[in-house]
Amino acid sequence: MDLNLFLQLFLNGLSIGSVYAIFALGYTLVFSILGVINFAHGAIFTLGAYFTYTLSGGVFGFNGLLANGKLPFQLPFFVALILGSILAGLASILLERLAFKPLRVRRADPLLTLVSSLGAAVVIVNVIQYLVGAEIYTFPDNIYGNIPAAINFGTETRPIMIRTVQVIIFGVCAVIVALLTYLVNGTKIGKALQAVAEDETTASLLGINPEQFITITFFVSGLLAGLAGTLVGSSVSIAGPYFGISFGLKGLGVIVLGGLGSIPGAVIGGLLLGLAEAFVPPDFSGYREAISFAILFIMLLVRPEGLLGRKRIQKV
Amino acid sequence: MINFLNTYGFLIVSMLFGAVLGLSVYLPLMAGQLSLATPGFYALGGYIAAILSTQVFKFTGTIFPFPFLLIELLITTLVSAILAIALGIPVLRLRGIYLAISTIAFVEILRVLALNLEITGGAVGIFGIPQPFATPLEYLWVAIPLLILSMLFLYRLEKIKAGRAFSAIREDELAADSMGINPTYYKALSFTLGAILAGLVGTISAHFINTWNARQGTFDSSIIYLAFVLIGGSRTFWGPVLGGIILTALPEVLRGMGGMSSLPLWLAQFLRDGRLIIFGVLLVLGSIFYPQGLITPELLNKIARKNPFRGILNKQSIKG
Repeated sequence: MDLNLFLQLFLNGLSIGSVYAIFALGYTLVFSILGVINFAHGAIFTLGAYFTYTLSGGVFGFNGLLANGKLPFQLPFFVALILGSILAGLASILLERLAFKPLRVRRADPLLTLVSSLGAAVVIVNVIQYLVGAEIYTFPDNIYGNIPAAINFGTETRPIMIRTVQVIIFGVCAVIVALLTYLVNGTKIGKALQAVAEDETTASLLGINPEQFITITFFVSGLLAGLAGTLVGSSVSIAGPYFGISFGLKGLGVIVLGGLGSIPGAVIGGLLLGLAEAFVPPDFSGYREAISFAILFIMLLVRPEGLLGRKRIQKV
Repeated sequence: MINFLNTYGFLIVSMLFGAVLGLSVYLPLMAGQLSLATPGFYALGGYIAAILSTQVFKFTGTIFPFPFLLIELLITTLVSAILAIALGIPVLRLRGIYLAISTIAFVEILRVLALNLEITGGAVGIFGIPQPFATPLEYLWVAIPLLILSMLFLYRLEKIKAGRAFSAIREDELAADSMGINPTYYKALSFTLGAILAGLVGTISAHFINTWNARQGTFDSSIIYLAFVLIGGSRTFWGPVLGGIILTALPEVLRGMGGMSSLPLWLAQFLRDGRLIIFGVLLVLGSIFYPQGLITPELLNKIARKNPFRGILNKQSIKG
């Protein structure tokens, strides 16, 4: 493999990997606070993509209840992206209130929380389908304004072409990860969050209101999912209401690889998975989807706590 | 009556299959193991039937010979058991959510293999699987015995040493281990029995629905089968049986209700197109308000006290 091809694949991998990373960050945040996997995370991802599509002036298809409808106004893409992600965050808070909190109050079995979050995912996905139909939605070509479609990192004769969307995605993700790391490690909110994750009862004795932080966590988690959904949607297209399900499963691979509940783990896991997928030879591209699961499987057998996770001590 | 049975034959048989699939998830759960591998073995059983009946058994005629079906069931049993033991021994070291995730990975890997291999027909799948019966309803000749035998098996299993070992591991694995119960052995046993049941249903289903492809065993189905158990009840085998029957029928019943002419138009349309929304809402409400499921050992005891057929149900109370 020559160097240019290597660089090309490497950059492709980083770009998709960074989306996996922000998607998985939301997953892992909720896991670190509540110790349960939020299976509706993929559905929130889908929801975020649809919110941004609608806000940026997209027209609905002809199959759903809202056939051929659109908003009376149209926002610039980046404004829509931010608002759409915030709406996804709010939806995530609502999800927590309806599908997680009632179970937490009853101290129910974590398995039931899993089923309830899956039920919520089924509801979200099917409500979307009921309202706007099952067809593929494409963002308009010029959403990113007048910037060129591709950037050349190589020379004139041996180009390494990267789509501008990919560069934007990578940039946005880098900023998000930096902000989130600062939020968790450098601020009071972050310290409190860590305290709640460590031990909810002790944290509440120290004057921290766990409920408040659970709400914040779900908001941030939904925001990140919505952001990831829009970024993927704008780089390919929104492939119908089931768009987020496969992402949800891949995200599992990412967080197990990095270590369940570990924030840097989610970033590293996401980037590694993106790179692994980018370097799959074209002849085996059909098996690309299985890579995350194969990695996950091996990781669970060799080191279940993941690359950066901590071993959970089994109390007798 | 005959007319009704013919119209709903397909649904009735599917409901019985649903019940057996519920039992397949329940078996590992008896030993406290949350496995979502059922759709994987279901898909595997279906592929065994599809490949054998279309490529290996060269038969000509309209009705697929019944003995061939039995041979397929036998092969499925063996293959599922071997695969389940090979998979179970390493994977069952994991606990709780980790085990669930690794079985999801297993199902997804099988799905991607089925999508890409030539022998499974790739993305298109395998078509024209010969039918051993002329009408869907006649599949009851296999579905009823399969369900009854598995229920009798579980009824018996709960009483013998293996079943008690399962409950001991479920309650406290470390304590069970220190009492001389080998957790690995019994966990692998419960996992394997569940896998075999799922494989058997898959084998019959492939004939039943005539075509088999990679969409037959996906993550969605993992969740639906798990819901059979958790909504039906995870403390007695009556739970998954009832859960499987009700939840398989529910979307179709809602569709039927949507077709009634007396309903307002919007409601009828919602029942037809929004069935899965209702299904999802029920999953959420069920986990909140019926954490033990619809059927609990206590409920069975209550019924048994008033019931002249005390024998069957009453013994559940020992476990309660």
